[in-house]
Amino acid sequence: MWPVIRWTLWQRRWSIFWWCLGLLGFIFLTLIFYPSIKTQADQLQKTLGNLPSTAIQLFGGTDFFSPIGYLNSQIVYLMLPLLLSVLSIGLGNSLIGREEHEQTIEVLLARPLSRGRLLLAKGLAGIINVLAVTTVGTLATVLLAKAVGLAVPSGNIVAACFACFMLVLTFGGVAFLLSATGRGRAAGLGVAAIFGIGGYIIGSLSGTVHWLKTPGLIFPYHYYRSADILRGQFDWSSILFFAIFVAICGLLSWIAFRARDLA
Amino acid sequence: MDAAIDCRDLSKRYTRNAPYALKDLTLSVMPGEVYGFLGPNGAGKSTTIRTLLNFIQPTAGSATILGQDIVKNSVAIKRSIGYLSSDMSMYPKMTGHEFLTYLSELQPATKPAYRQELAKRLKTDLNKRLSDLSRGNRQKVAIIQAFMHQPSVLILDEPSSGLDPLMQEIFYDLLNESKQRGAAIFMSSHILSEVQKICDRVGIIRDGQLVVERNIAEMAKEAAHTFEITFADQPPLANLRKVPGVKVASHKGANVTVHLRGELTPLLAELAKHEVVKLDARQLDLEEMFMRYYNGQEAQ
Repeated sequence: MWPVIRWTLWQRRWSIFWWCLGLLGFIFLTLIFYPSIKTQADQLQKTLGNLPSTAIQLFGGTDFFSPIGYLNSQIVYLMLPLLLSVLSIGLGNSLIGREEHEQTIEVLLARPLSRGRLLLAKGLAGIINVLAVTTVGTLATVLLAKAVGLAVPSGNIVAACFACFMLVLTFGGVAFLLSATGRGRAAGLGVAAIFGIGGYIIGSLSGTVHWLKTPGLIFPYHYYRSADILRGQFDWSSILFFAIFVAICGLLSWIAFRARDLA
Repeated sequence: MDAAIDCRDLSKRYTRNAPYALKDLTLSVMPGEVYGFLGPNGAGKSTTIRTLLNFIQPTAGSATILGQDIVKNSVAIKRSIGYLSSDMSMYPKMTGHEFLTYLSELQPATKPAYRQELAKRLKTDLNKRLSDLSRGNRQKVAIIQAFMHQPSVLILDEPSSGLDPLMQEIFYDLLNESKQRGAAIFMSSHILSEVQKICDRVGIIRDGQLVVERNIAEMAKEAAHTFEITFADQPPLANLRKVPGVKVASHKGANVTVHLRGELTPLLAELAKHEVVKLDARQLDLEEMFMRYYNGQEAQ
């Protein structure tokens, strides 16, 4: 199993590097302008306050220019989960799906390696991949936040990024499950993306659109309270929800994959 | 001695209403035996191989490899299997060396130096990226991965495709060495001359069913008793039919084909009475048998 993890990561080493670099660039460009925005915070906040409440909810709340509000609306609530979701869904979709599509899976399964172990190894490689990129993003956010004078405790930023990491794993888990069932990779990608983005929209709007409250409960985004975490209110139950969700996806993937015909 | 590969009524159909891709396949391959599995595209050769390797699940029947069930003990079985297919999918960005190291880590070899020895014999550059290799050179890497751990069972799906004649000979040597070591070799092929040359037994599959299984040595014995005779004049068909053990298989003009079972002397004595222009003892012709079964004459 370890060779599969190691070689999968080794094969993706350049992809990981470019993702880290891209995320670093994005965070740098977002935070570097904070000092100039800070001076006009009150005015900007007033202008944005005129926006419809549904639009405001989509950006993660009502506070955009306080240190926590800025970090939350610009990075932790929207762009970081969005970018990491793309990575996570892509990985979930391709780790098994691409091997099967390109038939390299036969070379692996012709060795004494069970399907369950292959699945576990690929899943763990995917998690490590997302974790590596998240870690770089987290460190960049913590250091740059300090550098530009964003007064948010580092521990809270780390906790929020960790919650974001757990959130995006759920989307990756859905993509992984769909690819493990052997259904079309494109369909898997689409469903996982809809699950992620749809969940974001429903989860964000459920605060103002009341009839979305109940359906919003089934989407992981509902349990992602990044602004609260940045304020120091870390909720382990939501992390547990994400972890259980990912574990269920893993279990269902194994059930679907262990005895089916390979394409 | 127990069979290394043993299939009992092995069947596969991909969907409930689809016709069987493989139907009641019963065959066995003994240790030290090379079994040639023949059939055109879509006959069920790859389905058989993919079922044996547990890439797909059998619908009915069972099979064992080295005494272990192919479904329940698939992982344990694969410790002793080498698998090779034509134009095998590999990781294009890896070098041959990296690819083989990866696979060696999943299935450690008893003699790690053997991999290097194989690369040397097959004249393979393992430092090049797999995407930069020609099809033939990729096939050499695929051969190394199948043989490098010296498996007890080799399952080969059209293994020599893409190899030049020189490399084919080296490949046949490798097969022969594995056979001498006691490995059972199950090999599908389109190249009948190859099968004839290296296999001990052949099975022909048609529409998912094994239609005939023959021993190559027996076939050679039978084929040696087929004669093609060209007479100077009209052939003495009536006299030939009277010769004990002779059956006139076909005749056209002055040419006659006879099958002989038994002594050769009476036939030669009869031929001596006539002016014979040409006498050929036909060699083993697997292709003829293959075509005969594929035209359905024998199977009907």
